Amino acid sequence: MSSKLAAAPSRAGTGRAKAILKDDRRAAFWFLLPSFLGLTIFLLVPLAASLVLSFTNWQLIGQSKFVGWRNYVNLISLDPSFWQVLRNTFHFTIEYLVLNIVISVTMAVWISNLRWGKSFFRLIFFLPTFTPLIGSAIVWLLIFTPGGFADFIFSTLHLPIPNLLTSPDLALQAIVIVSLWSGFGYNLLLFGAALEAIPQSYLDAAAIDGASSWQRFWRIKLPLISPTLFFGTVMTAITSLQVFDQVYALTRGGPGSATATLGFSIYRTGFAAYKMGYASAIAWVLFVIIMALTILQLRVQRRWVHYDL
Amino acid sequence: MDILKNAARLAAAAGCALVMSTAVRAEPVTLTWFMWSGSDAEVSAWKHVAGLVTEKYPDIKIEFQTASWPDYWTKLPALAASGQLPDIISLQSMRTPGFANLFEPLDPYAKKDGFDLAAFDTSIVQGLTDDGGLRALPYDFGPMVMFYNQDMFEKYKVEEPKVGWTNDDFLKAAKALTVDGNYGTAQSVPDVFFAYARSAGANYLKDGALDLTNEPLKAAFQSYVDVVAKDKVAPLFPASGTPSGAQANGRFVAGSVAMYVDGPWSLINVKDSVKFKVGIAPLPAGAAGSISLSAGSGFGIASTSKHKDEAWKALQVLTGPEAEEYLASNGRAFAARNAQQKFWYESAAKGVANAQATIEAALKTAEPYKTTAEWNTVSQLFEQYAPLAFAGSQSAATTLDQIQQLSEQ
Repeated sequence: MSSKLAAAPSRAGTGRAKAILKDDRRAAFWFLLPSFLGLTIFLLVPLAASLVLSFTNWQLIGQSKFVGWRNYVNLISLDPSFWQVLRNTFHFTIEYLVLNIVISVTMAVWISNLRWGKSFFRLIFFLPTFTPLIGSAIVWLLIFTPGGFADFIFSTLHLPIPNLLTSPDLALQAIVIVSLWSGFGYNLLLFGAALEAIPQSYLDAAAIDGASSWQRFWRIKLPLISPTLFFGTVMTAITSLQVFDQVYALTRGGPGSATATLGFSIYRTGFAAYKMGYASAIAWVLFVIIMALTILQLRVQRRWVHYDL
Repeated sequence: MDILKNAARLAAAAGCALVMSTAVRAEPVTLTWFMWSGSDAEVSAWKHVAGLVTEKYPDIKIEFQTASWPDYWTKLPALAASGQLPDIISLQSMRTPGFANLFEPLDPYAKKDGFDLAAFDTSIVQGLTDDGGLRALPYDFGPMVMFYNQDMFEKYKVEEPKVGWTNDDFLKAAKALTVDGNYGTAQSVPDVFFAYARSAGANYLKDGALDLTNEPLKAAFQSYVDVVAKDKVAPLFPASGTPSGAQANGRFVAGSVAMYVDGPWSLINVKDSVKFKVGIAPLPAGAAGSISLSAGSGFGIASTSKHKDEAWKALQVLTGPEAEEYLASNGRAFAARNAQQKFWYESAAKGVANAQATIEAALKTAEPYKTTAEWNTVSQLFEQYAPLAFAGSQSAATTLDQIQQLSEQ
């Protein structure tokens, strides 16, 4: 094939263009090589290794052998806690995702309408995002602990709310609260920047046409920030499916399995019970779920995301 | 021919010289030693002990590596899996069944050198032994005992715990001290509960395997839980990143809990961080008497080490009389060597009411804390599920059923 192409008549101009293209390709190759190597060594190889591990019974110490699909079969059919863990993960993801997006969009719109102090408020709300969660979770633990500050507030306001951390029905809410506190600042910043990018003329024109601020929000602002909204939703969904830090520091999956999520389950199986093969199988289930959800979101976005500004 | 002969002679001589030099003068060896630690004071104590090795064997240097207590048990198997185990590694008796195969059996070494194991407390030597033999030389051990806030007992005029006290005495004291926002006691899991269960005549193992579902144990757990759930004389601890034992310790040190159970290894830290007088007493007697569980730790040789002989020499110094005297007089260890225990009474236990009488009484009836290979999991499951029982959300029996079931898969 290549000899045929080479033999084909070519004009001088395209020949030079080809040479430049070839040079560019070479340069691109060398520029891409470092990150490609990094990606291969630190991501692709471990990824493949964990897939292989998920078919073994490796326990860190001692010999391991291939067990075929047994880890996956056990997970789905035998493991008494897996379905509860899956339920918890979805419950957390849906509740956290909805609240996070609603709160961050509302706050972003509110801040963008302020006359002064925009950057001050953005900074304040962004602070928790770069505070190490594992550290602030300890403060939250003191707040939520039985007889702690949260209980004091509830009893002062005569709210019939039991202690969050020791109630199997409400413990997940403590995780949601801490996650919201630490996570919504990032989306707030993201949506704030998108709102700033909306040309003022659109809004002025709408105002002249008599659109109320409510209509301006639904008809102009929201559609125009929809690409950013989509990005924020996808990323938030992924991180909330992986939730781990809060659970690790705040409840260790308890009481019982009330707050055990897939991320925490992987940790506990791998580093407390040392069942690396089984933990890898859970990790791959999580991977497949995230993949499926992201593909679904990419499909659905065509209906509501507008890329034309 | 001559040249060839000369060359051969030269080679032989060189070979001899090589052999001679290794035989006469040992090459300096750097051994790595991996041990958990929780404070700078601990690290410097271990480094001092490591220095004793080099003092005695100038050719052996020790490089000290450390991690926090929970991280140690994650890092150790990870190091083993990647073939990077340090030469000397540390073992806690409760973890012997799970980690024994990382350790070289020490009996052949001890036999060869005529090493005197009888100088150590027998229970901790047993605790560090599995089917394959002795895995580590012990440096400390101790039975769990009841720590109490002497000032609170005096303030509320409650009779102090003493050798021979019973569960009824304990409950009476706990109720009397649950006043002014304080709690009488703190109930942690699982270690303290198992000691309580043994004292009540129940067992948590059957033929070496975990057996949490037998009726006597369920009854014992219910009454242990009721101290929190019904009597409300102990705080309710949530499942959290802080283990219940550490939460109990924290509340005691803060002065809001009058009694809690811990090991003698904690006494120095507790005494140094509280503003009140501390006393210790044996565990209150149940139906089967006051049966405490004893545990301790030691150092062994990694089965992958390339310097096993040097490591064995180092171990004898690390757990030798001089090191034990140093650790005991600094309050760091209730010495595993019987002869050095007196230094601990003079330091860590100084000013602590009933210290010597308590430890001696507790040791008389204490059993080595026996465990299974998956103890890490059992421990975590207790931390995670027991709060359901303590909060009264479900019965103690159901909780034990769950833990048994989850630990089996």
